[in-house]
Amino acid sequence: MTRVALTVNGKKVKREVTPRTNLADFLREELLLTGTHVGCEHGICGACTVVVDGEIARSCITYAVACDGTEVRTIENFDNDPLMVKLRQAFSEEHALQCGYCTPGMLVAARDLIRRGEAKDEQSIRIGMSGNLCRCTGYMGIVSAIAKVARDHTEKDDQQSGARTLGPAPGPDAPDSLASEEPVTARPARPTTTKARAEAPTLAAKPDVNVQTGEISQDGKFTKLTQTITVNHPRDSVWKFMSEIEKVATCMPGVTLDGPPENGHVDGRMLVKIGPISADLAGEADVTRHEDDWRGLIEGKGRDTRSASLASGRVEYQLAEVDGGAATQIAVSIAYSLAGPLAQFSRGAIVRDLVGRLAGAFAQNLEARLSGRETEAQPAALDAGSLVFKVLWDRIKSLFGMLLGRKEN
Amino acid sequence: MKPVAFDYARPRGIAQVLELLDANPAAKILAGGQTLGPMLNLRLVQPELLIDITRIAELVEVNENDDIYAIGACVTHAAIEDGRVRDPANGFLRRVASGIAYRAVRTRGTIGGSLSHADPAADWLSALLVLGGELEIAHAGGMRRAALHGFVKGAMETDLGAVELVTAIHVPRGSRVARHGFHKICRKTGEFAEAIGAVTTDTDTGFFRMVAAGGSEQPVLFDDPKPLFKNGDPLDAGSFDMDMAMDALREAGMEPDEYELRIRAVAMSRALQEAMSP
Repeated sequence: MTRVALTVNGKKVKREVTPRTNLADFLREELLLTGTHVGCEHGICGACTVVVDGEIARSCITYAVACDGTEVRTIENFDNDPLMVKLRQAFSEEHALQCGYCTPGMLVAARDLIRRGEAKDEQSIRIGMSGNLCRCTGYMGIVSAIAKVARDHTEKDDQQSGARTLGPAPGPDAPDSLASEEPVTARPARPTTTKARAEAPTLAAKPDVNVQTGEISQDGKFTKLTQTITVNHPRDSVWKFMSEIEKVATCMPGVTLDGPPENGHVDGRMLVKIGPISADLAGEADVTRHEDDWRGLIEGKGRDTRSASLASGRVEYQLAEVDGGAATQIAVSIAYSLAGPLAQFSRGAIVRDLVGRLAGAFAQNLEARLSGRETEAQPAALDAGSLVFKVLWDRIKSLFGMLLGRKEN
Repeated sequence: MKPVAFDYARPRGIAQVLELLDANPAAKILAGGQTLGPMLNLRLVQPELLIDITRIAELVEVNENDDIYAIGACVTHAAIEDGRVRDPANGFLRRVASGIAYRAVRTRGTIGGSLSHADPAADWLSALLVLGGELEIAHAGGMRRAALHGFVKGAMETDLGAVELVTAIHVPRGSRVARHGFHKICRKTGEFAEAIGAVTTDTDTGFFRMVAAGGSEQPVLFDDPKPLFKNGDPLDAGSFDMDMAMDALREAGMEPDEYELRIRAVAMSRALQEAMSP
């Protein structure tokens, strides 16, 4: 528990809270100020909007501990606020609410918009209120209620920011409940902490392989993409290598197997990192191979127990001889779907990009293994972005020579 | 929708932050929390310790002298939007800040947090890339400066070490005649951009750069975009060649579909028009 002392609706409040308690829950459950509503709980809907040190903030993604030393105002504190009185009246007259769930957040945000002089016309009101969602009214009533109040609101003296700092409230000068305590970090070490810091993956520096990404399409919940990888080894040896599931697994970044495969079935896990998010997918896969037409199929699914994200996918590959048999082209088609928080949070394009580049990393490692070079003993997690972007920046530099050349032709 | 239990530290100095980071591999830095908060609530990020850096005085200062203009990492978008921070780029920073997410997010979200997170569709990344911004980074051995161009390695991946902290953003000062444009395409106001175009042009110094960003891919910086103009004159927005821009983006490694590529070129074109309009 961590001590916090703040002023809520003019009253000084001191409590012990767990650091993970967000301001909205603190207000509602500790102080029983249930006028602040909790909608999406991840900063999208605006229902939980309150005022912290004169500026509006999302109380669901602001932690109570971070508000130590602040002055918080909730909807309950605006009973006699002249601007809010007008807004309440206008909301009523213009039918700006139905179920009322979004209304406390709407009112707090609308008052702030008018106070800052940003409710100039319908367009600016719609933009200014875009962070507050309403599922009943269709917004027409809300916009006209705000426009009505803004028209009559001529006081310009209240437009200055209430913030005391250039940073998030309350900033360095605020009273600090932790200041008197012993070192702020006094805490027992957790036994589960792994000692080693996760190392960033290092992959073969220069791809000696050619990877082409084809069209990306959507088929129901599955995203599909195709890639063509060319490696400088004969088809026989590539085919033979790919028959050994354990070796193939070492080429997939972040993949570890629980044990040797049995009849083409393996259990294992895959660690995927997207920025600060990491998903440790535990799952299984089945591999089937068709010797006659050099074709293989891998079907797998996994679950990240921490975030309850689910992933499933199907990879089909076919080998063809190129360069008179000196090289092999691997045509890969991938279909995958993601469900759960990982899918909810990650924008599709980032995951798509990540999955697309898996093949690139795989190809580099495959080429290395086929050439007798070892890949890393510990397969690294695949980080979105850390694989090829350095190469891209360099390519940009050489771009303009080419463009100029094209122009002169 | 509640985060996992974590511990909380509120150090008063940068050295303490680095010590905490060094001692806790599972620690995360908390500034405004407008990106980290949702990730925590969704349990996508499950840290053991949050290190709140918003009470460190140096991080909410603006340092200005003849040579540098450095905005502290914890300065909020709203502080820039409101003009509480002087804008060395003739109003460009204010304009970009005012378009980030929503006001209730801008009041807590910080410029350093945004750049450290390095979301490829985030506004500051493109805006400061086009201006030639640099980061000031604290590490155990002292401070280092890193050009933003090169610092970002990919979608949400940066060059930032595990025991390093972005402390300030150095914004190059343009001349009085410098013009800037920024255009963001997104379906809903405040959402992450589907495409961003950014332009800066300074006829006094000859500085002319463009950035295209969008989706999940690394923004592309053109430090000499003249070849994208039919008549080679970057001040003539009308001669901007969309097809050539799309080719250039493709050549630079962007691999979205035709539509996504096109809206990036459109965003560049609109940013140019904005920069050149009186």
